[in-house]
Amino acid sequence: MELAGVFKYLYELLVSTGLPQVWIDLISLVAAAFVVFGFLAVVALFLVWWERKVSAHIQQRFGPMRTGWHGWLQTIADMVKLLQKEDITPATADRPVFFWAPVIALTAAFAAYVVMPFGKGLIVSDLNIGILFMVAITTFTIISLLMAGWGSNNKYSLLGGMRSAAQVVSYEVPMVVSILAVVLFAGSMSMVDIVESQAKIYQWYIFRLPFGPIAFIIYIISGTAETNRTPFDLPEAEQELVAGFNVEYSGMKFAMFFFAEFINLFTISAIGATLFLGGWQGPFLPSWVWFMGKSLFLVFVLMWFRWTYPRLRVDQLMEFSWKFLLPVSFANLIVAGFMKYSEYFNW
Amino acid sequence: MTQGLRTEEFLVNMGPHHPSTHGVCRFLLTMDGEVVVKAVPYIGYLHRAIEKICENRTYAQCIPIIDRFEYCTSMSCELAFCLATEKLAGIKVPERAEYLRIIMVELNRIASHLIWFGTTSLDLGAITPFLYGFREREDILDLYEMTCGQRLTYNYIRVGGVSRDIPSDFIPKTKAFLEKFPEKVEDYVRLLNENPIWMVRNQKVGVMSAELALSYGVSGPALRASGVKFDIRRDDPYSIYDRFDFEIPTGTNGDCYDRYLVRLEEMRQSAKIVKQAIEQMPEGEIKTKVPTNFKPPKGEVYSRIENSRGEMGVYIQSAGDSKKPLRLKLRGGSFNQLQVMPEIVKGGKIADLVAVMASMDIIMPEVDR
Amino acid sequence: MNRDDLIKYLLENHPGKIELLDTGKVEPFFALNKEYLLEFCRSIKTDDILAMDFLCNIAAVDTGEKLEVVYSVASAKNRIRFDFKVVMPYEEAEVESVQTVWAGANWHEREIWELFGINVRNHDNLTRFLLPDDWNQGNPMRKNWDAPDFIRMPEL
Repeated sequence: MELAGVFKYLYELLVSTGLPQVWIDLISLVAAAFVVFGFLAVVALFLVWWERKVSAHIQQRFGPMRTGWHGWLQTIADMVKLLQKEDITPATADRPVFFWAPVIALTAAFAAYVVMPFGKGLIVSDLNIGILFMVAITTFTIISLLMAGWGSNNKYSLLGGMRSAAQVVSYEVPMVVSILAVVLFAGSMSMVDIVESQAKIYQWYIFRLPFGPIAFIIYIISGTAETNRTPFDLPEAEQELVAGFNVEYSGMKFAMFFFAEFINLFTISAIGATLFLGGWQGPFLPSWVWFMGKSLFLVFVLMWFRWTYPRLRVDQLMEFSWKFLLPVSFANLIVAGFMKYSEYFNW
Repeated sequence: MTQGLRTEEFLVNMGPHHPSTHGVCRFLLTMDGEVVVKAVPYIGYLHRAIEKICENRTYAQCIPIIDRFEYCTSMSCELAFCLATEKLAGIKVPERAEYLRIIMVELNRIASHLIWFGTTSLDLGAITPFLYGFREREDILDLYEMTCGQRLTYNYIRVGGVSRDIPSDFIPKTKAFLEKFPEKVEDYVRLLNENPIWMVRNQKVGVMSAELALSYGVSGPALRASGVKFDIRRDDPYSIYDRFDFEIPTGTNGDCYDRYLVRLEEMRQSAKIVKQAIEQMPEGEIKTKVPTNFKPPKGEVYSRIENSRGEMGVYIQSAGDSKKPLRLKLRGGSFNQLQVMPEIVKGGKIADLVAVMASMDIIMPEVDR
Repeated sequence: MNRDDLIKYLLENHPGKIELLDTGKVEPFFALNKEYLLEFCRSIKTDDILAMDFLCNIAAVDTGEKLEVVYSVASAKNRIRFDFKVVMPYEEAEVESVQTVWAGANWHEREIWELFGINVRNHDNLTRFLLPDDWNQGNPMRKNWDAPDFIRMPEL
């Protein structure tokens, strides 16, 4: 049951009403935005519940069980609670900066889904610079971290925000270099082209030895650091002295940061699934089912990391990125380049 | 290039309320960026004047209060006090009571080390082992509840013996626990020991040399991890420890990783002791008759035992004609370990201070009394 | 070394400064002359046969007539343990610090200063410790200490 047909039908319906083209474009864009927004809101709610269940089962307990069947209404209950909370802004905070930080975080998180291929034909806009656009937009979160740290006017949130920003910036570089290896092979930055070049399972980039698995592993490690999850969550850990950039946020603003973090988690997993695991390619089932399945599998892997590993100290984290991941990812890129150039290894 | 740049030291308060100070302890840190230049501990938030209170209680009434001296290992506190009183008055404890005491104290040592294991990994970010440790501890607490009705502060070991005999369920349940416990410890080993993140956070962090440890009076697993093979159960034996066969794990470097390994191994050795004690335990009485108006003769004694946090010592002076001790002084292992903390965290990062505090296994009630 | 050898060894090497008390029930208990405190501590630490490198405990006692400070020492190498005390009248409540011999004595001495009011000479940090910073109600562990909210338990 391919969904591309449904959207095509709706678009035809719109055209047949006879409105001027500019109105049709406007309405279809706004509708697309709402669809994506709605989908992501549902995904975020689902992921919050799932994180709680996964963590609970890893820790040999049950997690939420009472609010609905196995607690599936728990997230909604939490959202309702957060909406009712008083929105406190510290008196000495820098008001515009404090206000706009969570907005930017959430906007950047959502805007990356313009080029996400949800299935065959299900992409809002197939830009020919797809993956570049996505990486660029996800980098906006750094600005929101710094704004949150600065706007709180609190010595500790500033330190926490700066540490988070430093961490995200350092791990962008190996992530982009590993993505570059895939782009090199696919020959194009368009997301749809990258997925189409993985038509058979042995063509998935994760299986293209030797550069594929290494690029995948580097991507996953950098992705964990991008979303500030354990083992890289020192800047926002409770057991540390510096409580993180979002210590002064409460109520709806805090909920926005929280949402943005889960959307980012899904973004990282979805990009990983698209680039390395074949995107929506797969037999028998509809393409969007394959896409969701692969992304959720990667989300599960990232959650598994969080509840198993201890966390790294800040200097160890930076050292790991600059002194280990970056040289390895460059070497990987060189190997990929050689493979692409030579006739024999170009598999 | 650094000529024009100047860093300023600033003071940071790691306040009394903090998730990883294991109780209420305040550190005033002088920091230069991320590096701790000086750390000054401030204590006294949990001072309950136990020693003064006990000067106004009879010896039997002191025991529930001494329980709260170090509530993670209440049995050891009671044992230290009762041993001191029995030494003072020359009371002999029946055999069965000795074995029961050893079983309870060693199980308490395992329970305390499980708390340490959980909180250490929680402080370092691995949240799951906390729940695994507490899951094991539930079995031990069930055993205690079956015997004396309490889970944390027991009032079980009395002057002259123990207060009640164990119920019939106790030995089968303990055997079942000891059956599955080594595999659980193996689980912990597999989860954390070779984990590179764990190793890099703990190795070469908080190194304490043997001389520093001895001169500051540090004892217990922290001392043994620095290479000094000293265990009061072996070197100054009390009760009937000389009848059991167990090993004393030591470390070499004195860093957090060695302290972690020593305590994991101690859990296994304690399980071994409990197994032997259950096999050897005879039938018999559980308490020597001690007169209600128990007035020990004039004298003084300092008696020490090996607690899970180090040496726990009790000094009692008795005037000879009173039911109440003239002076009761308690000495806990954490007191000296907190004293040595500023020396070993100097020059390290603040995340290291959390790791060191967790690995030294400091409990504030022992420090403040 | 067993108990009798230990007593003989100590009495021979420190004549006139130390005497055996009969109050010690298992380990020997000695009374030390207060002036020789620091010297005695140094010598038992550096002594090869004794090597008392571990200070277990410093306890202060208010017996109602005199003040006593009891030191419990042990040797990690040689398995020796004994205790000794210095006795002083209330007027001369002062003792020398032994923190240069055993660094761990620092906090123990701070505690006896705070709770008993025994001054410790040459201590580098005699400040408030267990009691609140603004405590002004005297030395709580003294026998003659009283406070409005200090209730004595009724005799059984």
